[in-house]
Amino acid sequence: MEYIAHLALSAGIFIILSVSLNLINGQCGQFSLGHAGFWAVGAYTSAYYGVYHPLPIPDFLNLFIGCGIGFISAAVAGVIIGVPCLRLKGDYLAIATLGFSEIIRILIINLDVVGGPRGFTNIPRWSNLGWVYLWVLITVVICANLIRGTHGRAIISVREDEIAAESMGIFTFKYKSLAFILGAGLAGIAGALFAFSQQFLHPNGFTFMWSVIILLMVILGGLGSISGSIIGAIILTLLPEVLRLMGETIANWRMVIYSLLLILLMLLKPGGIMGKREFNLPFLREPR
Amino acid sequence: MILETRNITMRFGGLVAVDKMNIQLGDSDLVGVIGPNGAGKTTIFNMITGIYKPTEGDIFLNGQSVVGKHPAYITQSGIARTFQNIRLFKNLSVLDNIRLAAHSNTNYGLIANIFKTKTYKLEEERIKNEAFELLKIFDLDKSAYQLSKNLPYGQQRRLEIARALATKPKVLLLDEPAAGMNPNETKELSELIKWVRKEFKVAILLIEHDMKLVMNVCERIYVVDYGVLIAQGAPSEIQNDPKVIEAYLGQEAP
Repeated sequence: MEYIAHLALSAGIFIILSVSLNLINGQCGQFSLGHAGFWAVGAYTSAYYGVYHPLPIPDFLNLFIGCGIGFISAAVAGVIIGVPCLRLKGDYLAIATLGFSEIIRILIINLDVVGGPRGFTNIPRWSNLGWVYLWVLITVVICANLIRGTHGRAIISVREDEIAAESMGIFTFKYKSLAFILGAGLAGIAGALFAFSQQFLHPNGFTFMWSVIILLMVILGGLGSISGSIIGAIILTLLPEVLRLMGETIANWRMVIYSLLLILLMLLKPGGIMGKREFNLPFLREPR
Repeated sequence: MILETRNITMRFGGLVAVDKMNIQLGDSDLVGVIGPNGAGKTTIFNMITGIYKPTEGDIFLNGQSVVGKHPAYITQSGIARTFQNIRLFKNLSVLDNIRLAAHSNTNYGLIANIFKTKTYKLEEERIKNEAFELLKIFDLDKSAYQLSKNLPYGQQRRLEIARALATKPKVLLLDEPAAGMNPNETKELSELIKWVRKEFKVAILLIEHDMKLVMNVCERIYVVDYGVLIAQGAPSEIQNDPKVIEAYLGQEAP
């Protein structure tokens, strides 16, 4: 039972991460490979608050403050990295954000207050499955609402055709930054929830590989689709567990199986499971 | 005078793409820019809309200099354009293409967007109604929810003009609107252009290779060759200008 709860919890955190990365990569079309970096910033800053300066108030309020700190710190990191880097395009942006996330990780390793290479321990357990899924809901609602309004459409127009967007009176840099900063901030919330549910953080938990896996979730589900990102996050959280059930050797071939899965996907359904479509309940659809 | 360029020059390294170009456009004028391939016509458009910053010269919109401003700012001040190779937002619906162009006329903030407040709902309603009105005019309202990439070519061209008009411009720049159209569609298009000018009270500057269309709709024509203005005037004057004939057909053998 605890095992299933733990899986559900990681799935929830990965849903927040993939939906927020989808905002940057899928909807705004900016190829970011630094999501684990923002995740780490959110996790470590909120954990720092939880360990050193918790307020004498009920746990759930502290959790909200922790999530707020995670959001703000990751969003600030998003401003610092985004404003100079968003002038780059495609591969160059990917390399720059990748470099950034590694810088964050190395910085954490060298910071003794947060445990350095030994890991950050004694983080209070303020979060649980319910809180995680409340934040999943908040994240999904924010992203879904945003994308239907004029600001979200402006974000998508950047992906579709930047020059045309500018010629339609849209300040593209503003919306690229918005997507990047909001995406980073939401990853920070995922970090806070991760810290307060695992109670232990280690720099190796935020390597470049995790950025790739989050990106894989988004691509598997369909770049640009929120429902796709959710599906992708669930599949890639459960897949290693299923493989583990099938035996040690198969579990060790995890990354190979991921790549095969991705190649298969590219051949059969190049747009991902959902493509750019959304799974919509009738009452959520735009009235026609 | 709504739009005026004064000696705008564009150099790409050693190449002078456009040299000291002076173009004037009065209120609700319909003016054509013609010239052989590579003459610099689209470069002129790119300078006016802010995609390129002219190396020299000045551009005035309603008496105010807009040279070197951000393209979005220039659009918001009243210059809209279409593109030679259609640049629609392909994976968005026809309706969304129009709504995007109304972005700068949409008055609600990010917070209202995320929380779907009342202002958001009212504004979205208004934008949607306005978009449908526009689509009806262009006979595209039936395909409002289709992805714009799925429209037939002629309709995509029409949608691009509709989208440009949705930004509520004072000046409309059309870059080869008849490219790839058959004679019938071209004929319809020339009627549409005349009608748009009257109905929306915009000044139109148009680049076109289809001489029939240009001679038919334009009141005044600028002829450009190798980045230099070689002639300007009414269609009938242009047709008999020896310099123009030379640019298009070459010189007579001595």
